[in-house]
Amino acid sequence: MKDKYYAGFMRDMPAWMQNFRHLRKPLFAFLVDFLSLIYTWTIVSFIYNTYAHGVASYTTLPWWLMLIVTVEAAALWENFGVSVGMKLLGIRIATADGKRPSMLACVVRFLVWHVSGLPLVGYILTKKGLAWHDLASSLGVVSHEDVETRRLPWYRQSWSLAVAFVLLATVIAAFLVTRVDWHALITNAGRTANIWKAFLSPDWSLLGDGFRLLLVTVFMAFMATAFGVVVAVPLSFLAARNLTQGVVGRTVYITVRTVTSVIRSIEPIIWAIIFVVWVRVGAFPGVMALLVHSIADLIKLYSERLESIDPGPVEAIRATGGTKLQVILYGIIPQIINPYLSFTLYRWDINVRMATIIGLVGGGGIGQRLMQYTRVWQWSQASMMMLLIMLVVWVMDYSSSRLRARLM
Amino acid sequence: MAKRPKKSEFGRFNASLERFAVLRSRAFAFFLDWAAWGYISYAVMYFLNQYWYTWYVDWYGTLVLPAWGWPIVVLATLELAILMHAFGHGIGMSLFGTKLVTTDADYPTRKQRWRRFLWMHASLVMLPLTLLRTGQDGALLHDRRSETRMRAWKDVKDVLPARKPRAWIRTQSGIMTLVLIGVTFWLGWEITEIDLGMLFSRAGMSARIWKDLVNPDFVHFFQPDPMLEQSIVQGLIESIFIALLATLMGGIIAFPLSFLGARNIMGFSPLGWFVYAIMRAFFNIFRSIESILWAVIFAVWVGFGPFAGVLALTLHTFAALGKLFSEQVEGIDPGPLEAIASTGGRRVDVVLFGVIPQIVPSYLAFSLYRWDINIRMATVIALVGGGGIGRVLFYYKNQVGFLSNAWNQVGAVVVAIVAVIWLLDYISGRVREKII
Repeated sequence: MKDKYYAGFMRDMPAWMQNFRHLRKPLFAFLVDFLSLIYTWTIVSFIYNTYAHGVASYTTLPWWLMLIVTVEAAALWENFGVSVGMKLLGIRIATADGKRPSMLACVVRFLVWHVSGLPLVGYILTKKGLAWHDLASSLGVVSHEDVETRRLPWYRQSWSLAVAFVLLATVIAAFLVTRVDWHALITNAGRTANIWKAFLSPDWSLLGDGFRLLLVTVFMAFMATAFGVVVAVPLSFLAARNLTQGVVGRTVYITVRTVTSVIRSIEPIIWAIIFVVWVRVGAFPGVMALLVHSIADLIKLYSERLESIDPGPVEAIRATGGTKLQVILYGIIPQIINPYLSFTLYRWDINVRMATIIGLVGGGGIGQRLMQYTRVWQWSQASMMMLLIMLVVWVMDYSSSRLRARLM
Repeated sequence: MAKRPKKSEFGRFNASLERFAVLRSRAFAFFLDWAAWGYISYAVMYFLNQYWYTWYVDWYGTLVLPAWGWPIVVLATLELAILMHAFGHGIGMSLFGTKLVTTDADYPTRKQRWRRFLWMHASLVMLPLTLLRTGQDGALLHDRRSETRMRAWKDVKDVLPARKPRAWIRTQSGIMTLVLIGVTFWLGWEITEIDLGMLFSRAGMSARIWKDLVNPDFVHFFQPDPMLEQSIVQGLIESIFIALLATLMGGIIAFPLSFLGARNIMGFSPLGWFVYAIMRAFFNIFRSIESILWAVIFAVWVGFGPFAGVLALTLHTFAALGKLFSEQVEGIDPGPLEAIASTGGRRVDVVLFGVIPQIVPSYLAFSLYRWDINIRMATVIALVGGGGIGRVLFYYKNQVGFLSNAWNQVGAVVVAIVAVIWLLDYISGRVREKII
């Protein structure tokens, strides 16, 4: 196979572009530090404001002051210690012979950084991959394997302390944002007494009706999966990186991948809202919503499998003069048929679960009926529906995992 | 007749258990055929209702099976299944890869098949007796009477005389499969009321929505909506924190409990087995109810708001992770465990130093995977009062008709959701790659 890049490709790049190769890591480390400091600042001010003033506000200082403080703090952190970003990228600041820098050199580097690093000039006009602040302080950025490092416990390293602090602050903020109220959880437990009682005495007269609705739900999932497969299988070939080469192929690849990942990020429930407006309430919008989401999800699963096929059989058929169709038929399809079936079963399993809740927005099936009962607090009727949902989910889960274990 | 093989070395009782193991898959194959015919008869009933009864006989009526109809249907389907079993490959037989052959390894004659068909009725009528009188080679009454046997296809493939293979579409199971697939699609099409015409006839209506959705209106992106008292960004933050807290709490609860649900940790005493069974049942029950349904209950419990969402997602996360975690514990390498146990380590030492180091990476990977699911769920859990960005989404959706730019605002929320989920998916994918 011919190498796309000839030897010396990097050397022949323009000098200023080569510098970025050396400086990419320090720049990226700075960005990580800067963003994590901004995040910490925001979280801490949120917690402070909530406790001190009882207001959910994310700022305490004007934005320009916050910007200056965080940039300075990131620069200080990088010059006088090992920051989170540096740890993440595995870099250190060291002298030319790999020793720990002296305090004076660090101060010089920090000060010069303001005229070279901050306006980015020093990163572009460099000498042998060294920025101005590196040259001035005779320090450099090296891989952490090249320097002698002291083994310190985590509580004596700034980066791990910072991570611990940020995690703690995040959890505290999470408790505040989501308004966790353990007191209500305990004192209001009585409110649900009716629900639990109803679970013990479901309305069995709804059994036949429930089964009929359950059948609708299962068929919604089935139709969505079946038609989803029909659409997703051919499209998955267009979304596999190794099968789409050339300008046209790459364009198609990027388009299909982008569209599917956008569609996939929208929950089927949200799709159902759109389709309920489009084709009226019933099982049909539910099928459409599941179908759209299944297609996108299956394309992703399928194409990832296609990307990891063994190229041996493909090349063998191509070498013996096989056409493109023959390559697909005899080189690729035998390799993917079982994983495809397994993914389809997996998706069918998800679709059954989704079909039960898609009814909540008018997508038909048992979920719609369940929502009607819960709206008016008819818990014993609702619990009958929930029991049936549990039953079908459990059966699907068990049988599909058994089948998938066989296929794999 | 085949010669009686030697008596099993496991003794008489276990030998008969072995025979029943063989019979189990035969019974299962037979039930599959029976169920297939039952399914077809249900479909026929449904189609009669759909196309004939409601239109030509009685507009509002539904054709239901009378009480005396049930035994007829049950017996007729049973008869069809027996016929399929006696005369060739049923679906079940094909699925289990079994083949009907004579005792001298040939294809059964038509006469033998008829004999088998008739004797099978007798076998089924006195089923317990038939099972008790199973021959040593697993032959039942009708097998013995017709001198035919059920054999695995791979065992008889080379012994049977060569015969030109039929195209699968002309075999009995092939036709049956096609019929079942056809019926299923037809039934599904009718049951789910698929109406492609509606997609087009109302396309103009949806075009208006789509036009608004792709022109998102970000007025309330940072600026809180005065009616809702929440902006899109605040909703997103709420959703992210709901997912974070639910994953964290669910994972922390699931971690110790997953050991109680692992067979190789608990399966040493009756009490252990009991705890194991309880834990597994617990995981399965709580897992099979979607988190959005849990949110219905928790919204009643602690009131509408993000906390209800957190609790619902936590419960579901805990059950799902508990199952995944305990399967990981069951799949660990027993080597280090035995090493620690043999050097005098206690049960706690075995778990601490033998089990935990093996499972931590996969625990983290599963938690991240769960975090992905939770963040998706947290965007819609507001539908039943769970809080988060979904609250903003459903608020604007319900303002359609009252606000002129309602769909544009829905579009803005959807764009924000897509962006966040995309970003977090990317990050967690990268992190997972590093962990595993």
